[in-house]
Amino acid sequence: MTGGMQRSLDVVRRLLSRRGALLSVAYLVVVAVVAALARWIVPYDPVVQDLTSTLEPPSAKHWFGTDELGRDLMARAIYGARTSLLTAAGAVVIAGTIGVPIGLVAGFFGGWRDAILMRIVDVLLSLPGILFAMALIAVLGRSQLAALVAVGITGIPSFARITRAQVLSLRKRDFVMAVEALGGSSTYNMFRTVLPNSWSPLLVQVVILSSVAILLEAALAFLGVGIPPPTPSWGEMLRTGKSFLYEAPYYAVLPGIVLTLTILSLDTLGRTLAWVLEERHELGEEADAEAEGSRS
Amino acid sequence: MTGYIVRRILQLLPVLLIASAGIWAMIYAVPGTPIGALVGENATPEQIQAAIQRVGLDQPVLVQFWAWLKSAIVGDLGRSIFSRDPVFDLIMLRAPATLQLGLGATLVGLILGIPVAVISALYPGSWIDRSLSGWSALALGVPTFWLGILLILLFSVELRWLPSASTYVSIFDSPWGAIRNTLLPALTLGVYVSGIFARFLRASLLSELKADYVRTARSKGLKERDVVGRHVLRNALLPFVTVVGLMMAAFIGGTVVTEAVFTYPGIGRLLIQAITQRDYPLIQGVILFILVVHVVINLMVDVLYAYIDPRIDYS
Repeated sequence: MTGGMQRSLDVVRRLLSRRGALLSVAYLVVVAVVAALARWIVPYDPVVQDLTSTLEPPSAKHWFGTDELGRDLMARAIYGARTSLLTAAGAVVIAGTIGVPIGLVAGFFGGWRDAILMRIVDVLLSLPGILFAMALIAVLGRSQLAALVAVGITGIPSFARITRAQVLSLRKRDFVMAVEALGGSSTYNMFRTVLPNSWSPLLVQVVILSSVAILLEAALAFLGVGIPPPTPSWGEMLRTGKSFLYEAPYYAVLPGIVLTLTILSLDTLGRTLAWVLEERHELGEEADAEAEGSRS
Repeated sequence: MTGYIVRRILQLLPVLLIASAGIWAMIYAVPGTPIGALVGENATPEQIQAAIQRVGLDQPVLVQFWAWLKSAIVGDLGRSIFSRDPVFDLIMLRAPATLQLGLGATLVGLILGIPVAVISALYPGSWIDRSLSGWSALALGVPTFWLGILLILLFSVELRWLPSASTYVSIFDSPWGAIRNTLLPALTLGVYVSGIFARFLRASLLSELKADYVRTARSKGLKERDVVGRHVLRNALLPFVTVVGLMMAAFIGGTVVTEAVFTYPGIGRLLIQAITQRDYPLIQGVILFILVVHVVINLMVDVLYAYIDPRIDYS
């Protein structure tokens, strides 16, 4: 256990020693903390209208300005962060809880189970993600839950494929064979032996999928089929702001900056994490090879 | 080779079948009755009768699906609830606009992406490589709908050079009008695509540069420009072809958002309009159309790749 802790701390330390990752983590922490404490730190209610001050430019009173109904845009951007982060978290949970077992079973058993499960994944991939989500929303109707489920389902294929690839590479390794030979059940082997050894590519996937989910949620809201108003959402703000480009250019620009930085941060974090883990992995392999060499 | 193609098609058939069954089953999942979903609440008794006849709504479910699929295969996708026009005609009316936007965006992506990739691969790890990689990350990270808004603010609101809302003008009817109307959407989508192209081609170039034939070419005294231009680029472009192909397939998704930003009248706008109006035959038709195009392009890319690279094993 302490060894595992030590390794995790090591990864975190190496991750944060890279400037891009450090800046990304700092930005994401600020967004998450502000979003979580919104009720105590934001002086405006994001849905209360004030028709005496509509489309005001940014000022000391309203840092991001106000929208066409006089609502404070910064408050809406901060509450919009909640929508985005919660959608991302929910989508990752949905995609992971369905995708990972699919990949485990397909990779572990192979044969007809593999063929059927992978065809299902192919069906999910037969449409570009955003269109799949739109088709689902067309059926389920437009709601917060529909948007969450739609974004989550589009993430299933990547989890399934990565897990499956991971299982295939571990399947014939000694420690997995050993558990099998000792009579460990397949379920035990899948969840207790293979899965714990697959966490690094899955962790990278969690970060990358969060960024994809936030982008997809915003895109759906921008298209007018995402989370319905008056719930604040970055995509919805850009959608409405686009109608006021001449009167209030800041309206669509400022929330866009917040959204773009969030996506870029998650993307940078995911790629740096992949790089750090791979480097660690390579070092580990080298150490293994050396040990092997000294034995022979 | 033929065997490989046949096997790929056989693999795709169940996928297409399940996906289209899902699209067809949509009318059972939506609120209201299937017949209401198909012809709308204000349909005349004749229209209702015609729809029941066409997809056999009085028959068992599997027979219904088969009837619907059979008409869909020959291009009969029913009629729009709103305009009462055949869905197939509505799609064909919009398809050229999306095709023109997609080709324009690919062109922009190649013009921006290839030089970025070549320059960074020539000087890997240098400051220029790092800044160009940063550019690719930016191109991929900035949401297309926000980039589109920024471009409208710059070119339409500030400079007043280009229209903020684009209409479809065919490049064959009026090249200048087509460029004026397609430039901003194509640039928006093209910047994103250039990021993918650049990243992929850079990786592909770097791995080629390590190959033995490059060392041979260098050691026989070939100029670096010829080594890269004549040998490396050609080999690196091979896997790149598939990425360009896959991008063309993904465009169908990307154009939906871009079309919305510029109110560009393509397939994507048609779908959004259909979803907001709950025009189910139109939704089904557009999604089925995109599904088939997407799957067929993916198949063609696979086959093309196997064809141009003889090292691929078909068996």
